[in-house]
Amino acid sequence: MAEFVNVGRADEIEEGEAKAFPVNGAEIAVSRIGGALYAFSDICTHRQCNLSLGGEIDGTSITCECHGSTFDMTTGQVLEGPATEPVATFPVREENGELLIEA
Amino acid sequence: MADPRTFVVVGAGLCGATAVATLRGEGFEGRIVLIGAEELAPYERPPLSKEYLRGEDPFDRILVRPSDWYGDHDVEVRFGTHVTQLDAQARALVLAGGERVAFDALLVATGGHNRGIDAPGAELPGVLDLRYVGDADRLREAVAGGARVVCVGMGFIGAEVAASLRAMGCDVTVVEIFETALYRVLGGDIGRVLEAIHRDHGVTMHFNDLVARFEGDDRLERVATRGGRMIEADVAVVGIGTEPAVHIMAGTGLDQPGGIPVGPTMQTTIPGVFAAGDVARHEHPVFGPMRVEHFDNALKMGETVARNMLGAEVVFDDPHWFWSDQYDVQIQMAGFAPTWERMVVRGSLEDRSFCAFLLDADGVLRSSVSIGWPRDVRRSFELIRRQARPDPAALADPAVDLRTLVPPEG
Repeated sequence: MAEFVNVGRADEIEEGEAKAFPVNGAEIAVSRIGGALYAFSDICTHRQCNLSLGGEIDGTSITCECHGSTFDMTTGQVLEGPATEPVATFPVREENGELLIEA
Repeated sequence: MADPRTFVVVGAGLCGATAVATLRGEGFEGRIVLIGAEELAPYERPPLSKEYLRGEDPFDRILVRPSDWYGDHDVEVRFGTHVTQLDAQARALVLAGGERVAFDALLVATGGHNRGIDAPGAELPGVLDLRYVGDADRLREAVAGGARVVCVGMGFIGAEVAASLRAMGCDVTVVEIFETALYRVLGGDIGRVLEAIHRDHGVTMHFNDLVARFEGDDRLERVATRGGRMIEADVAVVGIGTEPAVHIMAGTGLDQPGGIPVGPTMQTTIPGVFAAGDVARHEHPVFGPMRVEHFDNALKMGETVARNMLGAEVVFDDPHWFWSDQYDVQIQMAGFAPTWERMVVRGSLEDRSFCAFLLDADGVLRSSVSIGWPRDVRRSFELIRRQARPDPAALADPAVDLRTLVPPEG
C-alpha cells in the first residue's frame, strides 16, 4: 500500500521550478506551478535523462533538455516526442511546510 | 462507412514512423501502408554512434515504437521491401518485383545514404561506414578488444564515433579535409573548442588533409593521405556526408541531388505527394530552401506532414534543433546559419561552457550553439523563428532571460 513520504521542506520548490527527490527507490520530481504542486517521475521515458536537471518549464509542461521530449506535469502525458510513453504522476501535498509524496 | 483512402509512407525511419503514428493519432481510419527497405521496425539512428555502438543500449531500447505497435494500430508494414519507382500518373508505387501499391496520398521519407569515398582500397575489409544498425554491429565487432582506427571526416558522425571508440579503448586518428573539427557547421572558433576536447581525450587529428588510398593485402593495414602521412590502422570509419535517397522520384524531375523539392507545407509539385525528413529540400519560411539531417527535424516534419496529408496545410516553420554527445559534453544547436557576420558569446569558449549566438549582417539571430547551456538554446527558438534582432549586449549577459528579448507579436 502506497503511503505519503515526507521528503523535505515544501519551500525548497520555488514557483516555476522542479526538484527531484528519492522516494522508495524512485526518482520523483516535484514542481510548483501557479502555487500548486505536481509530482511526476523525474526519468524521461525516451532515454532516461533526469527531467529536473535543466528541463525547461513552460506553464504546466516540462521539456527534457537532452532530446526535447515534452510532458504535461499534471497528467504525465507526452506533448512532444521523441518520447512515446507518459511519465508516471504521483499524489503530492504540503502539510505544515513539509512536502509529502505518495509513492 | 470506413475511410476508403490509402495513405502510403515509403521510408520506415523516424520521420515515416512518426507520420503514421500521427495519422492514427489524428483519427485517420483509412488504410496505411508503411514501406521500409530495412527488415527492421523503425529505430532511432543517433544511438548508433553512441550508446548502441558502445553496447550500453540494446536494440529494443532504440526502437521508435515497440515493434507490435504497427499491427496493433492497423498499419500494414512492408519491411525489407524496395521501392523502385513512383508512377505519378497512375498514383502508385512500383515495388521491386513489379507489385504496385496505389495511394491517395504519399509521403516519401526515404532519408539518405552515405556518400562513398572515392579512394583506391575503399573496398578492403576493415573500411567501414555507419548508417544502419548492422553497420554499428560490424564496427563494434571490428574494434572488440581495442583497435587502431582512422576516422575519415570529422563532422558529427566522425566526432561522435571518435569519442565512442576512445571510450571503447581504441587508438583513434582523424583525417579531416577542413581546418578543424565540425568546421562546416560550427565554424572555426567553436570547432577548435571541440578539437581541443578531442585532443584532451587522446584523439590524434590531422586537418587540411584527406585520404589518398587505403592499403593492405587482404584487409586494411594502412591509410595513406594526400599530405603524405601513412597511418597504421586496423579499421577505418568513413563519415564524409550523405546524399538524399531520391531515386524513387526518377522521371518526375524531383530526383534532385539536393533533395526532393517541397513547398512550405512539404507537398511536392505533384498533388498529394509529400516529402519530409532528410530527403526533403524544404522551402523554409525563415531560412529559405534547405535540407537538414537532424533527428528532431525528422520527428517534427513527420508530425506536421501527416496533418498536411489530411488537409491541414500547415506551414512548417520549426527553427531546427539538434544535439551531439561527445564524451561528457553535449553540444546543442538551433537555427540555420550557413554563414554569419557576428558571433556573440555568453559564458566562455575557453571554459567550454557557453551559448554562442550567430547573427547575420542585419543583426538577425540565425543560430545558437552551446556546450552545457541547453536552456539558452531552447529559449532562443522563438527569437530565431521570429527573425528577431536582439541587443548583442543582452545576448552576452547570462543574467538576461532570452525569453524577455522576443519582440511583441505583430
